[in-house]
Amino acid sequence: MQDSLQTALRIAASGLQAQSTRLRIVSQNIANAQSTGSAPGSEPYARQTVSFESEMDRTLGANVVAVKSIGVDSSPFKLERDPGNPAADEGGMVKMPNVDVLTELADMREANRSYEANLQVAKQSAEMLSTTISLMKDA
Amino acid sequence: MSSVYLFEIGSQKAQWLSARQTAIAANVANANTPGYHAVDIQPFSAVLDSSPIELATTNPAHLSLPQSETGALREVEVDPAEQTLSGNTVNLEQQMINLGDVNRDYTMGSNIQRAFHQLLLSALK
Repeated sequence: MQDSLQTALRIAASGLQAQSTRLRIVSQNIANAQSTGSAPGSEPYARQTVSFESEMDRTLGANVVAVKSIGVDSSPFKLERDPGNPAADEGGMVKMPNVDVLTELADMREANRSYEANLQVAKQSAEMLSTTISLMKDA
Repeated sequence: MSSVYLFEIGSQKAQWLSARQTAIAANVANANTPGYHAVDIQPFSAVLDSSPIELATTNPAHLSLPQSETGALREVEVDPAEQTLSGNTVNLEQQMINLGDVNRDYTMGSNIQRAFHQLLLSALK
C-alpha cells in the first residue's frame, strides 16, 4: 500500500483534473452560445454536458474521480427570427444553440468552488508531508 | 519502556490522520459525483481500543489474525435534506472543517514527537 498522504495528493489531483475538464466544457458552451449552422435550416451548436463518476484506482487502493462521459444536451433548440442569417429557413427562423449562459455561469462557479477545495486538500497534504520530513531536521 | 510507547501512539495517530486525510480527499474530489456518499474513518479512540494482541506465528503454516485496519472507511450518515438531487451527500464546508482539524492535530502530533525526541537526546548528550 502507498503512503496515505501521497494517496490523498493523487485523489486531489484527480479532482482537479475532473473539474478543469468541466471548466473546459463550460467555456466551450459559452463560446459557442451564438454559433448557428451555415446552411439554411441546419442545426446549430449543441450544448455539451460532462458527468463524473467515482472509480476505484487499483494501484492507489482508493476512490478517485474521473470524467464518466461528455454528452450532448438533447433539449430543443431555440428559434429566433433573423431572415438575414445564412442559417435561416424559408420562414426566416434560425435555430439557436440550446445554451443558457446563466446555467453555464452557475456551473462555472460550482466548478471553481470544487477546484479550490481540491487545491486546498492538495496543498495541505503536501504541507503535512513536509512537516513529517522536517521532523528529521535539527534533531 | 513507557517512553517508547509514546512514540508508538504518536506514529499511530499520524497514520490515522493520514488515513483521514485520504478519506477527506476522496470526498472533496467526488463532491460533484452523482450518487457518491461521503465517507469517514472510525474515530481514533476506536483504534486505540482495538486489542493489539497477536498470536505468535512460529510456523510458516500458522495463520495470523486479521488486524483491524486503521483506515477502514464507513459511510457518514447525512440528513436526507442535505442530499443533493443527484444523490451526493458531500458537504464541502464540513469537509473543509475536517481538513482544518486534521491539519491542527497533525502539527500538534509532530511537534510533540519532536519535543519528546529532543528530550531523549538531551538525556543522551
